[in-house]
Amino acid sequence: MTAGATPEGKTERRAPTRAGFLYGFIVAALVAGLPFLPFANDYFIAVAVRMLIFIALGQAWNIVAGIGGLLSLGHGVFLGLGCYAAGILFNEYGLPPWLGIWAGGLLSVAVALVMGAMTLRMRGVFFALATIAVSLALDQLARHYVDLTGGDNGLALRFLGNSLWFMQSRTPTPFLYAGLIFVIAYYWITQWVLRSRLGSEMKAVRDDETAAAAAGVAVFRTKLLGLLLSAVMTSFAGTLYMQSYQAIDPETAFGLSQAIQLQLPALIGGLGTSWGPIIGGTIMILLSESTNWGSTRLGIAGVDILVYGLLLLAVVMYAPKGIMGLFGKRTRGVWHS
Amino acid sequence: MLPILQAVLSGILVGGVYGLLSIGLSLAFGVMRIVNFAHGDLVMYGMYVGVVASTLLGIDPLLALPASFLLMAVLGALQYRIVFRRFVGHTTLNQLLAAIGLGLVLQMVAQLVFGVDARSAPSIFAGSYDLVGPFFFARAQIVAFLVAGVATIGVELLLRKTQWGKAVRAVADNIEAAEIVGLRSQRINLTAFALSCGLAGIAGTIMVTYYPTDPTKGFTLMPIAIIATTIGGLGSVGGAFLGGIFCGVVQQTTAMLWNSALQDVPLYFLLLVFIAFRPTGLFGHRSE
Repeated sequence: MTAGATPEGKTERRAPTRAGFLYGFIVAALVAGLPFLPFANDYFIAVAVRMLIFIALGQAWNIVAGIGGLLSLGHGVFLGLGCYAAGILFNEYGLPPWLGIWAGGLLSVAVALVMGAMTLRMRGVFFALATIAVSLALDQLARHYVDLTGGDNGLALRFLGNSLWFMQSRTPTPFLYAGLIFVIAYYWITQWVLRSRLGSEMKAVRDDETAAAAAGVAVFRTKLLGLLLSAVMTSFAGTLYMQSYQAIDPETAFGLSQAIQLQLPALIGGLGTSWGPIIGGTIMILLSESTNWGSTRLGIAGVDILVYGLLLLAVVMYAPKGIMGLFGKRTRGVWHS
Repeated sequence: MLPILQAVLSGILVGGVYGLLSIGLSLAFGVMRIVNFAHGDLVMYGMYVGVVASTLLGIDPLLALPASFLLMAVLGALQYRIVFRRFVGHTTLNQLLAAIGLGLVLQMVAQLVFGVDARSAPSIFAGSYDLVGPFFFARAQIVAFLVAGVATIGVELLLRKTQWGKAVRAVADNIEAAEIVGLRSQRINLTAFALSCGLAGIAGTIMVTYYPTDPTKGFTLMPIAIIATTIGGLGSVGGAFLGGIFCGVVQQTTAMLWNSALQDVPLYFLLLVFIAFRPTGLFGHRSE
């Protein structure tokens, strides 16, 4: 098939090398060993958990945006559905998040189907606008239906203490391992997509929609499948977010700064690569934690958002292939058309 | 029936200003295929121009309209030179992200300078109401509507009747052909982008006479402007104004008949419907 023969396609279609596997194993083992370090405290572990969750969310966004080339500015929708579904089912009906995670996933599939069916036949800019509209609509609805969602104040999980069945814990350490499992699983999913026929078709559509259609790719179906996969992954990671933070509110789920935080890992690290969101997410959280630390000391709020804005500008203007692009061969940026 | 008519009429008044928010956005898209997500933040800066005029200088914010236009036009020209110049021609995903990044920076700079508290700048018309038959209107909103209408007609005339407008339309139609006949496309685009941002400044200053501002206002106002622009037909200036009025009417009647906390939900849904079934909008010509 000609579609997979793009420069990006060739480099990423290789099976992961033994060295790549070794690096991955070492990194995972280091993360798993964090709680045993002598200076590890709850704050330290909580930052690592935040890192892992945002890496997973970034990996999910990377599927639709990095590999598929669709700019979703509203992936907070699926994050929010994963959070609210698990939270509401537990608070109202006492159901464990083991069920809630599937409810959130199903809801996300339904929303993604409607959104995709209505917008994915049009040019990319319309999809981007539609994702914003859907997240704003959910934001207003979540603020209004206070009985269900807690309104502006958000939804806090009833806390039961340590419980595996209800995925609750007094310390962040269990979520470190849950987050690690998510990141490893999403890494393998990304690798699988990149090497599968679906991934080749997604990249072909991303690089040149007309050429892909001429080569026999079902363009609309390919885009929709990519969106559905990414939506489910985001929603699952959303449930983990909910269990770890035990609270969600409309601003955190559907707000602009959250949407940016879902995009930055893949953008910083390198769009469409399997290591990109991992590297980018790590950098983003380290940066955000240090600016937060600095800005509280200086007494100025919002410096982290300023840093995010500058980072976003710098990446898209000067390094559209992200950090992975600095190491890799000189190839065109992913989003050139 | 009367309350519904009142809602429709208020919607038209509010919508005129939504139209003013949108025509600059539509102009930048029509000429350069740039979707400027930072447009709302320039509106917010325009609002602060009004606040500064009324609190620091002690003059009526309406008198600051020309200054606001000029300041935002200069800021827009800077943005074009630094960021958007490289994205002219077709809407790329990098361009959308660059505009969002720029918007975040503008918002945070405003927050550092002006603080997070809401500020307002009432004009001499604040607090006066006019009764026309059984209907009442806020006079500040009538003035805003008139300014919006005049600005829209002015921009349309500029584009249709002047040499500059001809050049802009030529560059928008076919940048290479325009350069071959001797037009300097970068300079023309720069002026068109500056005009688009100047309009944002006017919109902001006129709005702050009845609507308080804070640094997040740009992001709050942007969705309506995007919806109005899409419904009006991306790239059409007159269409964007009418799209704004359409949005205002839908919003106000929703607020009256259903729930004012959910007044924008039907608009978001309408945006999806338009994208799915009529992406050229009500008044757009080009099939995109």
